[in-house]
Amino acid sequence: MEKIKVQVCTGTTCFVMGGSNLQELNSIIPEKYGDKVEVAASNCLGLCSIQWEYSKAPYVKVDEDVVSEATVEKVLEAIDKKLEN
Amino acid sequence: MFIDIDCAQKKKYNQNAYGDFYLSGRFPNMNRVVAVLSDGLGSGIKANILACMTSTMLLKFMENNSDIEKSCEIIMNALPVCKVRGISYSTFSAIDCYENGKAKIVEEGNPDFIWIRNGEVLKPEYQSIQSKTFKNRKMKVYNINLELGDRIIFCSDGATQVAMGSKEYPLGLERSGLIKIILNKLEQEPEISSMDLSNYLVKQIQLIAPNHNLKDDTSILSLYCRNPRESLIFTGPPYHQEKDSYYAKTFMEFKGKKAISGGTTANIISRVLNIPVYTDLSTNSGKLPAISRMEGVDLVTEGILTLTKTLEYLEDGSSQNDAAGILMDFLLDSDCINFLVGAQMNKAHYDPNLPIEIEIRKNVIKQIAKVLEEKYLKKVSVQFI
Repeated sequence: MEKIKVQVCTGTTCFVMGGSNLQELNSIIPEKYGDKVEVAASNCLGLCSIQWEYSKAPYVKVDEDVVSEATVEKVLEAIDKKLEN
Repeated sequence: MFIDIDCAQKKKYNQNAYGDFYLSGRFPNMNRVVAVLSDGLGSGIKANILACMTSTMLLKFMENNSDIEKSCEIIMNALPVCKVRGISYSTFSAIDCYENGKAKIVEEGNPDFIWIRNGEVLKPEYQSIQSKTFKNRKMKVYNINLELGDRIIFCSDGATQVAMGSKEYPLGLERSGLIKIILNKLEQEPEISSMDLSNYLVKQIQLIAPNHNLKDDTSILSLYCRNPRESLIFTGPPYHQEKDSYYAKTFMEFKGKKAISGGTTANIISRVLNIPVYTDLSTNSGKLPAISRMEGVDLVTEGILTLTKTLEYLEDGSSQNDAAGILMDFLLDSDCINFLVGAQMNKAHYDPNLPIEIEIRKNVIKQIAKVLEEKYLKKVSVQFI
């Protein structure tokens, strides 16, 4: 099975909208999922400027799915869902 | 040729104000640098005020393009004499130099400056000008031509007279002793910056002083003629998207040090030139986004938050170990700094719902450029694209 790839946006909008708190995913994810899931910080994913939904930052990408208004819980939920499928 | 200039000072033991005063100014349009070092009579606040007055007046004269010789003469004639000691209220050294090497130096009362070329001390000729009002005041005027690699060192008499009366240095360190320390250091580190050399010298002088207590204020003002260290900072996407690839290539072809400040900017360069960007979480400080890595680029940071913090650090003169601190070190390590500022705005940054107010990039860069020029004497150019 291919690894699930999680990208946490550290762009300006995401960072000030709470993305700085998402950094803990970097330790939570490896602990919880081992090597099934790979997590990395990313510089601006560009989502805030193209989607015109910038109030929905911070953004996290779980593979190609976008988690908007992301929280640690929401991201873990999205990962769980992926693993179930 | 770039003139790297810096001054380091130490106070007299037990004083809480510096009795020497240093001021300098750079005029990038004229490729000109001016600097003044003044030593006020006595020590502490009184000396500080006297030296400050002298150097401020002189620098103002010079900034307004008055002839340095004439300006110094006016000041030499105007400086009062201390009633108790019968000597001048303050002494000074002033230099006005251009990047083509032409320099004029005027000294009144301070130890003779030290001019070093290829490890040798040069002995320039000078003209002596007598004060019209005070018989015991003479001004030395030098017209010299500086070459690449030359160094000029000015000092206050605290440096040459340190440890005077001690067994080892009955007459103090003297100019010859100071020269020995300088030449030794230059042999070890021929390309040492003016900042590091001045700091090193005042530290050595303090080590020579009995019990490491300086009996007089001590200053070293150092100039170094060298090839400029150039850097380029690319921040913000270009206004016309079709020019992305042109600017990305221009950036990568730049010969000096390169930094990118902005996630989208980094992405553009990464896309155009097909070089991946990696975020490096080890520099995450919590308050600012972490820096990223990209092959061929010396530093990649987030944009506006990091720039705003960098401006704050530059104004305060102190930084922390985060992305802005790293960017500040990057800037201060350069002589000529070029900013390539993309004018395209990310509307998301100006959403009133954002918890903090985000400054407009153009304004932050303008302020950074101003503080780099005025406080740190850097040559700065800003190009909006």
